[in-house]
Amino acid sequence: MLRFALRGRKGLGAHKSRPLLGGLMLPAILAAGISLAAAGSKIEQPIEFPHDVHAGKMGINCMYCHTYARRSAVSGLPPLQKCIGCHEHIDSVKDKPRIKKLFEYWEAKRPIPWKKIHSLPDFVRFDHERHIQRFYFQQGQPVQEVCAHCHGDVKTMTVAEKVTPLTMGWCVSCHEQDHPENAVSAKTANGPNDCSYCHK
Amino acid sequence: MNDIDRRKLLKLLGWSSASLAVAGCGNPPESGTGTAEAYSEPGDFNVPGVGVYYASTCTLCEAGCGIKGRVREGRILKLEGSPECAISKGRLCGLGQASVQHHYNPDRLKEPLLRVNGNLQPVTWDKALSLIAEKTKDAGDKFAFLTGPLSGHLKVLVQNYVEVLGSKNHFVYDLLANKANQLAAEKVYGISNPQVQIAKAKLILSFGADFLNCWESPVHFSAEYAQFRKANEGKARGVLIQAEPKMTLTGANADRWIAIKAGSEGVFALGLVNALLEDAHHAKNVPASVAEAVRKYDKARVDRETGVSEEVFGRVLAQLRERSPSLVLSGPSAEGHIHGAQNAAAIMLLNVVLGNVGKTITAPAKIPFPQMAPAAGDTSALIAFNQALSQGRLQTVFFHGANPVFTAPGFMKVRENLKKAAFKVAFAHYRDETAEEADLVLPLDSALEDWGTHVAAYQPDGVQIHMQQPLMERLYPQGTRSLGDVLLTLLKQRRPDEYNPFPDYYAYLKSAAIKNKAAFKDAAADDEEFWYQTLSHGVLNVAKPEPQRIALNPGALDLDLPKPAEEDLHYPLRLVPSVRANFRDGRHANLPWLQETPDPLTTIVWGSWLEIHPKTAGRWGIAEGDIVEVISKSGTIKAQAYLFPGLEPNTVAIPIGNGHEAMGRYAKDVGVNPLKILDPVFEKSTGELALHATRVKLRRTEDNRTVVKDEGWRPGVVNTQMNRKIVATLAADKIKLFPEE
Repeated sequence: MLRFALRGRKGLGAHKSRPLLGGLMLPAILAAGISLAAAGSKIEQPIEFPHDVHAGKMGINCMYCHTYARRSAVSGLPPLQKCIGCHEHIDSVKDKPRIKKLFEYWEAKRPIPWKKIHSLPDFVRFDHERHIQRFYFQQGQPVQEVCAHCHGDVKTMTVAEKVTPLTMGWCVSCHEQDHPENAVSAKTANGPNDCSYCHK
Repeated sequence: MNDIDRRKLLKLLGWSSASLAVAGCGNPPESGTGTAEAYSEPGDFNVPGVGVYYASTCTLCEAGCGIKGRVREGRILKLEGSPECAISKGRLCGLGQASVQHHYNPDRLKEPLLRVNGNLQPVTWDKALSLIAEKTKDAGDKFAFLTGPLSGHLKVLVQNYVEVLGSKNHFVYDLLANKANQLAAEKVYGISNPQVQIAKAKLILSFGADFLNCWESPVHFSAEYAQFRKANEGKARGVLIQAEPKMTLTGANADRWIAIKAGSEGVFALGLVNALLEDAHHAKNVPASVAEAVRKYDKARVDRETGVSEEVFGRVLAQLRERSPSLVLSGPSAEGHIHGAQNAAAIMLLNVVLGNVGKTITAPAKIPFPQMAPAAGDTSALIAFNQALSQGRLQTVFFHGANPVFTAPGFMKVRENLKKAAFKVAFAHYRDETAEEADLVLPLDSALEDWGTHVAAYQPDGVQIHMQQPLMERLYPQGTRSLGDVLLTLLKQRRPDEYNPFPDYYAYLKSAAIKNKAAFKDAAADDEEFWYQTLSHGVLNVAKPEPQRIALNPGALDLDLPKPAEEDLHYPLRLVPSVRANFRDGRHANLPWLQETPDPLTTIVWGSWLEIHPKTAGRWGIAEGDIVEVISKSGTIKAQAYLFPGLEPNTVAIPIGNGHEAMGRYAKDVGVNPLKILDPVFEKSTGELALHATRVKLRRTEDNRTVVKDEGWRPGVVNTQMNRKIVATLAADKIKLFPEE
């Protein structure tokens, strides 16, 4: 109840990602029971990709690499070509073990077998495009905050970690909130709550 | 205890399944359990999660509907009809929808196989092609290529290859061909393939033409039928009357269904002609000699020979008089007899008498490229091929798009005769019955991986050439090849100067299309732009197709139908090998979607069944589910009985398509093949197999099994909707279909 009151008054956009997640965590745990056992744990990846360097230190827009998020239901992992496009011009890190491994994959034209972190069941259709369009393009929230609603504060992580439960109850808790329709309007609207929006 | 995680602990305590159910309810999968791989280099237009549509052509039947395939992440997911295609106009049937299951089928051939010591073993393509070169070196007339119906450039390449080898033996075989119909149309209308304007008719009288299910161009006809049934703009709702010995899907949709004795359709039609010629406005449509010739088909004869009562005859007659223009169609159940073409001609004569020609019977345009025009195929081709085999005249035979070992009647002994040919090559998708007899089996690309051009035999509007293009990369790039590519390779071995300029089938098609682009509507001036347009739209519209002319000559028709055959007391029943749109001649039996789709009339899934009229079943002491021996002079099969009132009582029916001994996991050992017990009866003017002329008797066995069907469950009770009255129903005899009666 506390969370709803808090969110209802200030709206989603007024939160920094950390307090928001903190606010969500307790009821989500209560609602979803054991599901958070794996949340936050670090999964070993083929390359320990440093989000903290790219999104944190360099301040690169999330959508520069996850380019499909604004155009498709899935955000898509960046193709290898994207990594190489920059890294073949960055000589200073070329001898780093992670970059060497990256070029090995590239030369073999083999995709990197990333472990899935934010995985949903087949019967759920989450649409990245709708969320990015609404919160980033219409409401004008900072991109790192928009992504952080679900993915956590990625700019402080190396490989991605799951910090939210991604359960239906967790999704609905946000969809029940009033969100401003765009950056200038005082009008608010809920997220859709029809089953068929997510369960096609 | 600290080392044991929660799940292990629950498992130890016997709670594991319950705990998983709780944990699984609403929770996403655990992180790190699956992998997600991105492209190394993404292709054009490729946005993960967003589908792109490519145009192509459906190849599951000969109707040749244009399709658009939705491709996502490089995978074909779903097919729809292409709105630019004059045949499908944006629609697609269930068979076409199931095409993706051919493509992703787990039983697809993935590598070439060569028979070594009696067994088929993997071999390389290089070895296979050099073996073909060696075996066809001096082939000449000892070589034969048996294909299914073909059109477009594949037909050109097959015929060129046969010619290059010095042979004339290209046999085009189609079990479901309607050659008797074509011959009759040629005689009655002067053209073999008239268009039938279903939407314009006010009444359709169909003799077994199952145009909603599997007759000529079902998707096009279904759309026309929707218009026919709609009452709008002063046009009354069209009335459909269907006369046939076994109810088809079209028959089930009819306002009046007439159970006519098998083979007597011509008599019924000429009876109508005789009665109609009493009207002056009908009599002027035909010469007096016709009236003279049909005088003997009086009501008494019709009643006696067709089993249709005088009352019903009178009602049909009244409808024909009242509703004009009408349309009379002849279908396989009228044509599959010794006098099939004569039956068909008698039926078509009705259109002439009724003045339908030019209104609901029209002439299509001529296909301007004879080499690419469809070779529709027939069963006499199989008979000729089989005869050549049995006489040892063929040494090297190729197969493509036909499975004669499965579809040929047992009396032809195709399997035994094939042993007389020393080298048999099957270009195939599955190890079907014919591939199992072959010495070399070459795996082909699926229709969704291959290039091609198609020209449909039934062209509803002008002439369209349909393009087939890959909707995704090959699933087995090292194993399968396009038949077009293989034929080009083989032709290059013989005629390098002519064929070397084409690096592959794609280049051949592109060059052929560009060379002829002046023949097509709205062709771009720039060649590359034209080719891009062609592939984007999937169709090429011929700019000025030459019209064909209808030339009526009813006076020349032979209207002397034979007397009904003597009843055979030993084999008193007629067998209808019925055609299911799902399987057609059995080539689609390995698609589980199609096996699982209930038969529209009986609701039975998987397997085969014997449809028998409840009265006949009572006479033979047969109940639903009884395993019955169906015995003809040519063989015996066992099938499960299903009591079905949609039959002329002296007729039984078994669907074609199942009963495979090979082909794949979903087809093998499922159901029975009624083709195996067909009698050697042939249509007299075309030499076609008379598929509806087999006589059988039944023998009940002690075995009874539950019929697997969607309709009611209580044995012995006509019971639908699981006894729950989900939709209110009314018995057919309570509905007054014709208020004027």
